Amino acid sequence: MARKTAKKIKVDPITLSVVRGILETTQREMTLSLEKTARSSVFNLAHDYSTALFNATPEMILQGQDIPIHLGSLIPAMKVVAGYFGGDIHEGDLLIHNDPAWGGSHAIDTCFYKPVFWKGRLKYWTVCKGHLTDIGGPVPAGYNPNAREIYAECLRIPPVKVWDRGTPRKDVLNFILTNMRARRDQEGDFNALIGACQVGERALIAMLEKYGEETVDACIATLLDMAERQMRGLIATVPDGTYEGSAILEDAGHGFGDFEIRAKVTITGDNCHIEISSPPQIPYFINSYEGNSYSGVYLGLMMFAQLPPPYNEGLYRCVSVDMGPKGTICNAAEPAPHMNCTTTPMETLTDAVRLAFEKAVPSRVSASWGHANGLNIAGWDKRHNEEYVTMVLATIISGAGATPSQDGWHACGPECCFGALTSGDVELLEYSYPIIIHRYSLMTDSGGAGKFRGGSGTAWEVEPLNDDMTFITFGEGRRIPAVGAAGASSTMIDTKVGRLELVEGTQSQTIRENVIKVIKPGARITNMNPGGGGYGNPMERPVDKVVRDVKNGLVSVKGAQEDYGVIIRDPATLDVDIAATSALRAKRAPAAE
Amino acid sequence: MKSDYRLGIDAGGTFTDFVLADRTGQVRLFKALSTPQDPTLAIRNGLQLISEDLGVPAEHVVSNCDLCINGTTVGLNALITHSGAKTGLICTAGHEDSLEIRLGHKEDGYRYDPEYPPATMLVPRYLRRGIRERILSDGSVREPLNEADVRAACGVFKAEGVESVAISFVWSVLHPEHELRAAAIVREMMPGVILTLGSALYPQVREYTRTSTAVVNAYLAPIMKRYVAAVDSYFRSLGAKQPVRYFQSNGGLAIGQAMTDRSVYAINSGPASAPAAGQYVCAPFGYGNVITLDMGGTSFDITLTRDGSTNINKNIDFLRYRIGVPMIQVETLGAGGGSVGWIDEMGLLQVGPQSAGSDPGPACYGQGGKLPTVSDANLVLGYLNPDGLVGGRLPLDHQKAHDAIKTNLADPLKMSVERAAYGMFTIVNANMVNGIRRVTVERGYDPRDFVLVGAGGATAAHITALADAMGINTIVLPKLASGLCAFGQIISDVKYNYMATAPVRLDNDAALSRIDALFNQIEAQGTAHLKTDGFKAKDIVTRRSLDMRYVGQVHECTVEIGTFKVDAKSVAKITDAFHKRHKDLYTYAEPQSVVEVVNIESTVYGIVDKPGRMTIGKGATAKKALKGHRDAVFSADGKRVRTPIYDGTPLGAGALIRGPAVIEEVTTTIVLEPGWTARLHESGSYLITRDRKKGAT
Repeated sequence: MARKTAKKIKVDPITLSVVRGILETTQREMTLSLEKTARSSVFNLAHDYSTALFNATPEMILQGQDIPIHLGSLIPAMKVVAGYFGGDIHEGDLLIHNDPAWGGSHAIDTCFYKPVFWKGRLKYWTVCKGHLTDIGGPVPAGYNPNAREIYAECLRIPPVKVWDRGTPRKDVLNFILTNMRARRDQEGDFNALIGACQVGERALIAMLEKYGEETVDACIATLLDMAERQMRGLIATVPDGTYEGSAILEDAGHGFGDFEIRAKVTITGDNCHIEISSPPQIPYFINSYEGNSYSGVYLGLMMFAQLPPPYNEGLYRCVSVDMGPKGTICNAAEPAPHMNCTTTPMETLTDAVRLAFEKAVPSRVSASWGHANGLNIAGWDKRHNEEYVTMVLATIISGAGATPSQDGWHACGPECCFGALTSGDVELLEYSYPIIIHRYSLMTDSGGAGKFRGGSGTAWEVEPLNDDMTFITFGEGRRIPAVGAAGASSTMIDTKVGRLELVEGTQSQTIRENVIKVIKPGARITNMNPGGGGYGNPMERPVDKVVRDVKNGLVSVKGAQEDYGVIIRDPATLDVDIAATSALRAKRAPAAE
Repeated sequence: MKSDYRLGIDAGGTFTDFVLADRTGQVRLFKALSTPQDPTLAIRNGLQLISEDLGVPAEHVVSNCDLCINGTTVGLNALITHSGAKTGLICTAGHEDSLEIRLGHKEDGYRYDPEYPPATMLVPRYLRRGIRERILSDGSVREPLNEADVRAACGVFKAEGVESVAISFVWSVLHPEHELRAAAIVREMMPGVILTLGSALYPQVREYTRTSTAVVNAYLAPIMKRYVAAVDSYFRSLGAKQPVRYFQSNGGLAIGQAMTDRSVYAINSGPASAPAAGQYVCAPFGYGNVITLDMGGTSFDITLTRDGSTNINKNIDFLRYRIGVPMIQVETLGAGGGSVGWIDEMGLLQVGPQSAGSDPGPACYGQGGKLPTVSDANLVLGYLNPDGLVGGRLPLDHQKAHDAIKTNLADPLKMSVERAAYGMFTIVNANMVNGIRRVTVERGYDPRDFVLVGAGGATAAHITALADAMGINTIVLPKLASGLCAFGQIISDVKYNYMATAPVRLDNDAALSRIDALFNQIEAQGTAHLKTDGFKAKDIVTRRSLDMRYVGQVHECTVEIGTFKVDAKSVAKITDAFHKRHKDLYTYAEPQSVVEVVNIESTVYGIVDKPGRMTIGKGATAKKALKGHRDAVFSADGKRVRTPIYDGTPLGAGALIRGPAVIEEVTTTIVLEPGWTARLHESGSYLITRDRKKGAT
């Protein structure tokens, strides 16, 4: 609708650039307001939130470039929420929603939608969504590995008005907050989300006042068209055909076995159709409803498209997605439990899509990043006599995948966050929680072997300070390393996958599944997350680069030989046996294909 | 000022500016090309220019200066080009990689870019040596320092030719003894090595920030030491009365030894003097809320001062390295006279951040530049004098500017050259406006409460347009704009930051007395330092600030408390100040919540007496200074308007000029858009105000 009216007005390219700048600044200010005011460290440190602007259609006119977990998933959610109310949207309304069966991602990501009116008519929506610290249900922080249904996970919020024509519905807000733990923090985070929506509203109205409704409408319509042309131009360079990718979702301890997720990408001219197939859903919290699966698919697409911001819905006009039959892991139906879905199975779904695109355009690829494999911790803080519980973000910061031009970044993942996360300072963590962090470091031989090496994963070693500590492991990537690109593969596997080492006295054990355990002071656990995938044949990695990695302790002498065919004669001088290396590399090269 | 002169020397990317103030208040500005390979060469060249102009030898000028002040880019350039010293890091075992993990974050804007490289490590992993030792979050020692590990690390450093060593342990800030003992061992094993201790340089909570700050300091220290030695000895040879003062990115002066010990304070000193200069030129008008804008050849720097207090940054990424120590907040954009106009993948006109620099420079310089720059657009729009800048010493080629815009922008966009040029002007202004929002709106300030001060050669052509876009009604534009930063340095005081950490909740008296004792302790250090610099007690001023937050929050905000003693009586005042600051910044406060302090800081100033003020006497009226007319463009339709051009040099105090008009000063060109009026004030600045009939605000 907006597009048709806009076509009549000629858009001046200068004003267009200015309007685009204002939209980006608006989104930036929303993001900043949210980050600075929120109480939840998952907002403050992890940047696990997203802000977006929609027009009245509603089409997404700007997506914050925040965390890929939310990439595109606001598009279906906004449409479902606006559709539910139809014409019953008024100036001063404010909507809340979290439910995955109504287009949401996972229910702990709670979203506010503010309709923006101009001269009595709906013009825009400002939307903010963030990962809260709790969403009710039987287990603090929402992750309940024992839930067999979504009803056993959380409070489900379908689209609901919390403000009605400018009046807060205290009864509704109270109803929601009454169902959540740490009410004061949740209330604070609600205020932060609402505040950010209002910051956006203010800036959009100022833009309309300054440039006029018709001009702004025309500019926004043009920006959507331009993004469409950009993506179409890119898709048109891909040879017509059908390309398939598949990836394995590991059994994380649920006992249903490994699953295969497949993606079929069909290119016809400048159109792209993506078809997902996944096994039937299971009574374990790794099912993904359709909205969340969009994020996984779009991240796979972006790993191919590699576009810089800004992002809007125009990008996806030439992309159609079939998420497979309802009731499957990637297109879950009620009552499937789902809370772990933003990392698992999302990262496997992303891999399947990116592998299909790798077949389509082998030159335009990034290797897979390490998947999320981390920890939550909880216990009693004797220093202040209070309970503590937190997701330890530092534990999921895995290695990035290598690209055709460079080694993967160390410590930048996991794949579903793509560098958006931050880990928090070791001193701030020890100040906030009764723990001693003995180690937070890169791990030798953890980056996937390749002509360009995958980034190194991280190890996080902790000891409870003065009381028992509960830890909960979650995630995946514990048997299968991050998938390489362009023929990259590793020989040494065990150092490249996620796992947890528990040392109690003289006893030690390695854990490779989702568990809940309690340890005492003196015991230590080390969470190790996966490195990134490599790019290209590791036998082609220049010997001096391998030697430099050995010097820096990123690759061991043994790893140099096993993964790269480089034989170091003397670990002290790092003197290379050139003849033996050439011979070994010649013998190994075909095997790496 | 007791001597004849005070000299300021400010190195920039293209030019090194020399400002010479004399006893009468007259200020002379000289410019010499910067010589990044050997920065002392530009200093020699500039002194030569001054000597020629005054007709006296350089020795005469220098020996008659009470102070010679230098803002240098030596540290900055070493950081940009990664040409610092070979550096080793001694740190807690298990935490060798915080420097490389960088909190696990990739900068926004490059999320899917497969070619955006990781930050270059200033210390490679094999030179980051973990030592077995551990201090806990309450300051207790869990594991004593393993001295053999320190000795082993020194062995590696010696074998690798390490020149500078940083030592930074987890929680050393609560128990510096391990760092001190390790330092003693390093000194014994590596005599002559330059040492930086995290707990001494930046005694604040946050291990990554402290370690990174210490490493940047260690990386730059040997370079700064050599530079300072060269400059000091040169000035001594010219008979300087006092050691040279160096300008720091905290906005104050330091003497050479402090510059070597705390090299990290040197890295962004250039634009950090703008707030002081802005305050100075606004003082005669009584304005205290000032935004300074400095547009040069390649970049645009913004600073903000409110009620005399300047926005400060701590714990930020600078050139991709985490720096903890306080720096004047300078928002820098790639928007200057040399910024290039281009068309992006989506077919939209963009300007910058890439710049044609000084070589080849804008197309209109005629030095082979083919790309259309902001200067080319300003020439085509009729703002700049086609006969040339700097009094004709830099001639401009109108045809080349026209052609560059036509070929690269106007033809592909199917519009006239004038419209494309005005488009570039509009877009570069929009970029600058978005930058100004970052220091105002994002910091909780309304830009309309501020006046703009123009600095840098290129700002004056844009400043009325920027004020229009921000709703700002008042501009102060000094004739000296192009050398304003160098001027800011010669009116600045010596300034050192002393810090300590005090992670405590503000709900008990023991916490209060601990904080107050820490303040007294660091202020005693600061005062002692200034006394060795020759300051008397009456010229020493201290200012306290606290980094505070609500329990459970992650981000602190800094609250300035002047010289309050921290005790049960003042604590309510302090927490109220925090609640207020929180509300200003984030729109709300939580008066019922417990507040905690994380870090504290005292800034100590050694007050330097100031040169006299410049005054402009009676001179020409506007009518007499009218040089002629040019057609200039002030609207998006590209329509040309006959515009009067004035020569600023002969204008006397009180001269009044209404826009549209162009005023040509020797080193800057002021564009008055329609609706603005300039009046030259006796203090040497134009006061430019929005005409009432136009201003809706």
